[in-house]
Amino acid sequence: MERTRVNIAVGVFLLIGIAALGYLSIKLGRVSFFGGGAYEVIADFPSVGGLKAGSAVEIAGVEIGRVEAIKLVEYQARVTLRIESSVKLQEDSIASIKTKGLIGEKYLRISPGGSDKIIPPKGRIREVEAPVDFEELLSKYIFGKV
Amino acid sequence: MATRGLALAAGLLLLLGAPRAWAGVPTDQLKAQIDRAIKILENVENKKDTKVQERRAAVRKIANEIFDFGETAQRSLARHWASRTPAEREEFVRLFADLLERSYISRIELYGGEKITYVGETIDGDQAVVRTKLVTNQGTEIPVEYRMHLRDGKWLVYDVVIEGVSLIANYRAQFNKIITTSSYEELVKKMKTRQEEFQQDEPSKRTSQR
Repeated sequence: MERTRVNIAVGVFLLIGIAALGYLSIKLGRVSFFGGGAYEVIADFPSVGGLKAGSAVEIAGVEIGRVEAIKLVEYQARVTLRIESSVKLQEDSIASIKTKGLIGEKYLRISPGGSDKIIPPKGRIREVEAPVDFEELLSKYIFGKV
Repeated sequence: MATRGLALAAGLLLLLGAPRAWAGVPTDQLKAQIDRAIKILENVENKKDTKVQERRAAVRKIANEIFDFGETAQRSLARHWASRTPAEREEFVRLFADLLERSYISRIELYGGEKITYVGETIDGDQAVVRTKLVTNQGTEIPVEYRMHLRDGKWLVYDVVIEGVSLIANYRAQFNKIITTSSYEELVKKMKTRQEEFQQDEPSKRTSQR
């Protein structure tokens, strides 16, 4: 009797462990749950400096999608974004690559525009802002002051 | 020195030249306009202190002709543009043009022989991006991108991106913050008071700068 109870306790503990692991892998693996209800748009940046596939896409700090892929097209970085289908992006929306905090990870911020035209799936965000290269700016200030 | 170059790059956006009857390649148009503006600034006659007003007026005139203030204002106001009445829109465009003028026109006067090189352009339908570099006298390069669109056969600039920072994105964030935290009326009030302050300050500031 005593033994069965211990066995059950161990079994329950194991199940909880597995469930926690599953939760963790979904969280860390950034599995997108809006897989079906999402559409893709592209944006060409002169440089993405630190943005990676899987990085967050945010409007007003709220995550509305993820960076699907980044590849080099005509010496520019073509970023493919997966955006939740409930979120519509106006034609004059601006996509900027920003840093979380001072030294945090890079993410893509979209500031919504006011145009009547909506970017269709597979469309392109024309207005982009590349990340500000602080080192480069710094060196300009340093070497510029001769 | 880099600060000066940046200020200058910002200033040059208002100097993009004059209207042309023909619609050619955006870079050609842009270059013609910038060259024309630089000529005004380099003119020794115009550099005299007494000519400040006239020089400003000349620069302002060019800016009004080439810069699509309406489009810039609309894009900067973004979502809030749709809920404005036509009269409000007109007023806002005027206030916004004033704001750009007072922010940049005084900086144009810092021009001191910086060179502009044209790196390339991308045309996509009725929109184009012209990439330029402003080379300061110390050799520092500042990338300046002009975003233009075709309106009635003319390429007009609606956004300027300096060192990767967009003018519209900057004002859009600021306007949005003011409108969402207080109201549109508050924003207009703010812009009006700034303009009045500027007009009062101007004469004294100019004499102290020199």
